[in-house]
Amino acid sequence: MTVPPDPRAGVSRRSFLKGSAVAGLASTGLTAAATAADGPTTFGPGAHDIVLTVNGAERKVAVETRTTLLDALRDGLDLTGAKRICDRGACGGCTVLLDGQPVNSCLVLAIDAIGRPVQTVESLAQGDLPHPLLEAFVHCDALQCGYCTPGMVMSSLACLQQRGRPTREQMQHDLAGNLCRCGTYGRVFAAIERTAQAGGK
Amino acid sequence: MQPFTYVLPENLSQADAAARQPDTVLKGGGIDLVDRMKERLQTPARVVSLLPLRAELGGIAVEADGGVRLGALATLAELERHPALATPALAGLREAAASTASPQLRNRATVAGNLLQFTRCWYVRSEAFRCVHGGRGPTCLAVTGDNRYHAVMGYSDCVRVHPSNLAPPLLALDAEYTTVLEGKTRRRKLAELFPSDPRGQAPEHTLAAGEIVTALHVPPQPASARTSYAESREKQSFDWATTACAVRVVLDGGVIEAATVVLGAVAPVPLPRPAARLMLGQKPSAALFQKVADAAFTGALPLSQNGYKVTVGKAIVREALERATR
Ligand SMILES: Cc1cc2nc3c(=O)[nH]c(=O)nc-3n(C[C@H](O)[C@H](O)[C@H](O)COP(=O)(O)OP(=O)(O)OC[C@H]3O[C@@H](n4cnc5c(N)ncnc54)[C@H](O)[C@@H]3O)c2cc1C
Ligand code: FES
Ligand code: FES
Repeated sequence: MTVPPDPRAGVSRRSFLKGSAVAGLASTGLTAAATAADGPTTFGPGAHDIVLTVNGAERKVAVETRTTLLDALRDGLDLTGAKRICDRGACGGCTVLLDGQPVNSCLVLAIDAIGRPVQTVESLAQGDLPHPLLEAFVHCDALQCGYCTPGMVMSSLACLQQRGRPTREQMQHDLAGNLCRCGTYGRVFAAIERTAQAGGK
Repeated sequence: MQPFTYVLPENLSQADAAARQPDTVLKGGGIDLVDRMKERLQTPARVVSLLPLRAELGGIAVEADGGVRLGALATLAELERHPALATPALAGLREAAASTASPQLRNRATVAGNLLQFTRCWYVRSEAFRCVHGGRGPTCLAVTGDNRYHAVMGYSDCVRVHPSNLAPPLLALDAEYTTVLEGKTRRRKLAELFPSDPRGQAPEHTLAAGEIVTALHVPPQPASARTSYAESREKQSFDWATTACAVRVVLDGGVIEAATVVLGAVAPVPLPRPAARLMLGQKPSAALFQKVADAAFTGALPLSQNGYKVTVGKAIVREALERATR
């Protein structure tokens, strides 16, 4: 299929219409991607405005190609729940849900998250109303310094969403990507159990 | 990370053309690549993402002949959960995927990226060290340096180890891989992906510049085939293996009819061991497995700090064999 290039601001008509990874971007009319007439979509090396779907809302954020999802969330969108600890996929402090699955946002390029739902720990409170899982973390005293906690919470959330009533073994498996130097693991498991018993996901 | 141009192809032929541009690297999940770019070990002008090609290069499917096709972009999490891998014949592959890294990493890490990840040698992976495999110096610094996680066999002038969890079980299953380069598709035995002479200056795989792995193929397995995977490591999760072993056996009336043993994390490439032949025509027994484990490490030449790998590795071979024949 050959579609003539659209003269609008360097974004081809085809890339404007196609249902690819940049659809979310294109449909907002942002002119971030420089797309040759029939070549692939390219970004960079400079800065671009992209749109990310974070906690259900479309958010515009300026990124470079090298910006990670974590840095886009923290520095660009002021969502500082996810923590930057190792920045190398080796601690879980930056865990967010991408397409409903926990990932290390420090190793995901922000551009790779275009058009895919991102959920951060901030989504778990509506004003003063906490999600049952957060309440359970408080009730079970499942945090000490709290630095690993946003990541722990997101992995716990995914565990509950996928398993309903997880066993301790399943919790260990699902939370194996979150390190806590304060040693809160046992209490985190108790908080997951409490949430599951109350039927809250 | 250095700035780079990020290319999102719409189809395989665009990816193929983009990947052959100078100073360009391919990216799957990006777990290994982004890490190396952050460390400035790799500073490409262009990165071509394969992720937009998930529909073409992803997924796991049982093929017409009963074999299993793993898309190059299938994630380790998919391998862990997919029903096509829920058979005793593919248990070793499933176990190897499930014990890799962490849940978050398995959700992103792809099959091809896992096989093609760079060695974890701390000299190679640090800009500061002038080592041969890193392309920054004349010799392998681990030979006389801190070599506790390095090779005990199969090395010449560089003692890095191949870290992939998936390579040993896929080799044990005699898997093949398909690539695309300049519009041409080729299918080869997985063993050909790894260099036959893994010297310091040799790359860790045999792909040509810009060659894209599109899929792995596991051949159909007889009903009585069993595989298993066992590894030693220092932490319960988040850790590469210190020794690993995948085995495949086919039992006929209680007698071992076919057997393969592949070691991981002990050599610069994943290492099939001819010792497996000792089991042919034999009945499984602890004594037999001990003999195979000893023979699998024949010729091992441990370095100053990694002699433990021979002892532990033999126990891991026995564990894998016991699990496969239980
Ligand atoms: C904390 C931590 C612990 C880990 N533990 C383990 C472990 O226990 N066992 C283990 O095996 N791994 C482990 N890993 C490594 C991880 O599994 C790999 O980094 C991951 O599988 C790489 O896959 P990827 O898709 O992200 O590859 P990428 O990072 O995208 O790519 C890796 C390399 O492969 C090339 N490449 C990727 N796809 C293709 C393709 N289709 N065709 C051609 N070239 C391609 C890229 O150019 C790059 O050079 C760990 C990683 C971390 C951070
Ligand atoms: S900051 Fe991402 S895993 Fe540690
Ligand atoms: S509560 Fe301190 S690191 Fe987990």
